[in-house]
Amino acid sequence: MRATPRVMTTRQTSAPSHHGHSKAQCIKVLRRLSAYLDEDLSVSICEEIRKHLGACPNCEVFVTSLRETISLCRCADIPSLSPSVKARIRREILKAVRYH
Amino acid sequence: MKNRTQSRRPRRQSLQADGDGAKAFDRLYRAHVDRIYRFAQRLCRRVEDAQDLVQDTFLNAYRGLGQFRGDAQVSTWLYRIATRASLRQRRKRKGEPDRELSLDEFIPTSDGEFRLQIPTDGLTPEEALESKELRRAVHQAIQKLPNKYRVVLVLRDMEELTAKEVGSIMGLNERAVKSRLHRARLFVRRELSARGIAESRPPANALQRG
Repeated sequence: MRATPRVMTTRQTSAPSHHGHSKAQCIKVLRRLSAYLDEDLSVSICEEIRKHLGACPNCEVFVTSLRETISLCRCADIPSLSPSVKARIRREILKAVRYH
Repeated sequence: MKNRTQSRRPRRQSLQADGDGAKAFDRLYRAHVDRIYRFAQRLCRRVEDAQDLVQDTFLNAYRGLGQFRGDAQVSTWLYRIATRASLRQRRKRKGEPDRELSLDEFIPTSDGEFRLQIPTDGLTPEEALESKELRRAVHQAIQKLPNKYRVVLVLRDMEELTAKEVGSIMGLNERAVKSRLHRARLFVRRELSARGIAESRPPANALQRG
């Protein structure tokens, strides 16, 4: 992960929903979370978001789960193609090219 | 071989018929088949569909070899061919346009929704993905995405291309790529967390409401 925003563990998440800020601020942050995680925002906006995350357990958990989602996608590996299927597909392509 | 018409054919087709074309194709196939198969598996529900997509992609690449000008990376060119073939396949199968994902549908309305968590149990992503169940959940969540969102997420977060490269493959500007990517990630997050709760937590209505 490129960005390293502050992370709160799942055990620290039982605080009340809003800590002296309106939900509109949370929504504003949520709309920008991918750009934040991709380090695609200006320094001042990043700082603003970091401050919000520090003060809002809900958004902190949200960003953690979004970061984990991206990491799972990045790390999800898949089986490779067997040599025999590779050879079969190649044969099929050459046949199709020859006869069309 | 239809020699009578060969002299009138454009260069692309003569490339298909002569030995150089076959050699160029073999080089291309050997160098890129694994990457395109990985991409295809990420886009397709079934292994057979992924294999069909690889075949369509390299067949179209073979036919387009003469037109490839080398002003893009070969891999980007192949991704573009594969993406088009995949969208065509899906459209044919499904026959209806992609659903639009609205950002508003991902805005939590309760504390419980804010606090949906991914069932990784504090493990690293690699460790967590040793669980077959979680691997399947990730694949299924991605498969549930509408086509145009799934392709962006796969290219950006799985194939790890830049937003600019994804834009060039899909014919979109970077802003559109980033917008689709954000929605796609929010969709997958919700799918994975909902699944986690269903499997290991009390029912959703037992969660604290805000």
